[in-house]
Amino acid sequence: MKSVKAHLALILPLFAILFGAEYLIVFDRIVDNYETKLSAEYSLIVVADKALKPVDISRVDRLIDHVEPVDIDSILHRIRKETSEKNMKKIKSIMPSFYSVKLRHYPDKYTLKRLKEELLAIKGVKSVYLFEKMHDPLYEMLAFMKSNFLIFSLLMFVVGVLLILKQMYVWQLEHRERMQIMALFGAPVWLRSGVLFRLAIIDAFIALLLIVSGMFYLMKRSDLVAFLRDIDIDPQTLFHFNDIGLLAAIGFGISIFGTLVVVIRFKEEL
Amino acid sequence: MQTGEFVFITGASGSGKSTLLKSMYGAMPPADGELVVGGMEIGKLSSSRLYKLRRHIGVIFQDYKLIGEWSVEKNVMLPLIIAGFPKDVCRAQAQKLLTHVKLSHKSDKFPLELSGGEQQRVAVARALAHNPFLILADEPTGNLDDYSSQVVWELLEKANEELKTTILVVTHHIPEMLSAEYRHLMIENGVLYEIR
Repeated sequence: MKSVKAHLALILPLFAILFGAEYLIVFDRIVDNYETKLSAEYSLIVVADKALKPVDISRVDRLIDHVEPVDIDSILHRIRKETSEKNMKKIKSIMPSFYSVKLRHYPDKYTLKRLKEELLAIKGVKSVYLFEKMHDPLYEMLAFMKSNFLIFSLLMFVVGVLLILKQMYVWQLEHRERMQIMALFGAPVWLRSGVLFRLAIIDAFIALLLIVSGMFYLMKRSDLVAFLRDIDIDPQTLFHFNDIGLLAAIGFGISIFGTLVVVIRFKEEL
Repeated sequence: MQTGEFVFITGASGSGKSTLLKSMYGAMPPADGELVVGGMEIGKLSSSRLYKLRRHIGVIFQDYKLIGEWSVEKNVMLPLIIAGFPKDVCRAQAQKLLTHVKLSHKSDKFPLELSGGEQQRVAVARALAHNPFLILADEPTGNLDDYSSQVVWELLEKANEELKTTILVVTHHIPEMLSAEYRHLMIENGVLYEIR
């Protein structure tokens, strides 16, 4: 029972840290995916009073992926029936040129504002329509949640590390006598601290196993998968196999760091 | 001290007997002067060289200092494990020594399952396991009854005679059986006096 408690005292904070890290990774992926989707669906419109070469517009900023002229006929399509051919020609001759500008990714509102100013600075450009109000609220909400979760995860990380260090201190007390006696007979650091490292590695492995199994379980839950699809999120973003490597590095890194603190603080008292 | 000597150091409580012993295995390096053990000056040793030196020294304490969560056999194996011997060699040597101290039938027990005298015999077996050139003993019979004390002294005497191990014992009281045979120093106010 005492040994189970000692293990749980390390496994639980490690699990909390890994849980926070995994959710941060997932949120990051969701926002990234949404940005990609937004940029695929999003384009801004440049209106010019004279014909421009698309390359003159695209060279303004690296953010611009490509520029396409908008076909005037498709704009006038609706009024064609009620308008004579002569009037149509007249309208066409006074119509400005329209260009659809596709971006590499959906930027934040400050970058959009800057881009608008750059485009307006092109000679002949009359106005630029961003349509940002259609996309911004959801994107802003996700970014806000992501930053909040980052703060929450950092707090979780700090509390988790403090709990781990406390547990390591308890281990230090529990194993001090054995380590002292081994030191008396000349045991090198790795030998007298071997048990601590073994415990830390086993507990980090258990915490990793718990978090990975938890994420697999969530991925297999049909109600959660359906919910994610409903809100237009790919359920695969929930867990990637690459995450295991990252989580393992965090889990093992923290527990080995904690053990090293204990080992370095060891002082002979016999 | 000469190689192969058996020396007793006596003195009143607080006279510095145990401090001197601690200095000899490097737990408390000397504040001043020079202390040479096994040809090495203790105060100038790096921690890794000090640990290497300790692998050739055996220590015995009044309170035994056995590892409670290890079996008797594993406790005796400790210096051999540290020296890097294969497990079967460590086990064979531990069994040989436990037979020597008449505790082979208790090799699977844990220290707290043994009496004080038995625990000290295990501590002596551990101190002898790696055939050290020097054994340092701090009040080795301080907590023991007469019979157990006699067994411990006999074991130390045998190690000194047969293996030519140098032995330094810090004690309040020199046993009668050894009092006439070995060198006796006394420490008072930090100064060592030759008594015999």
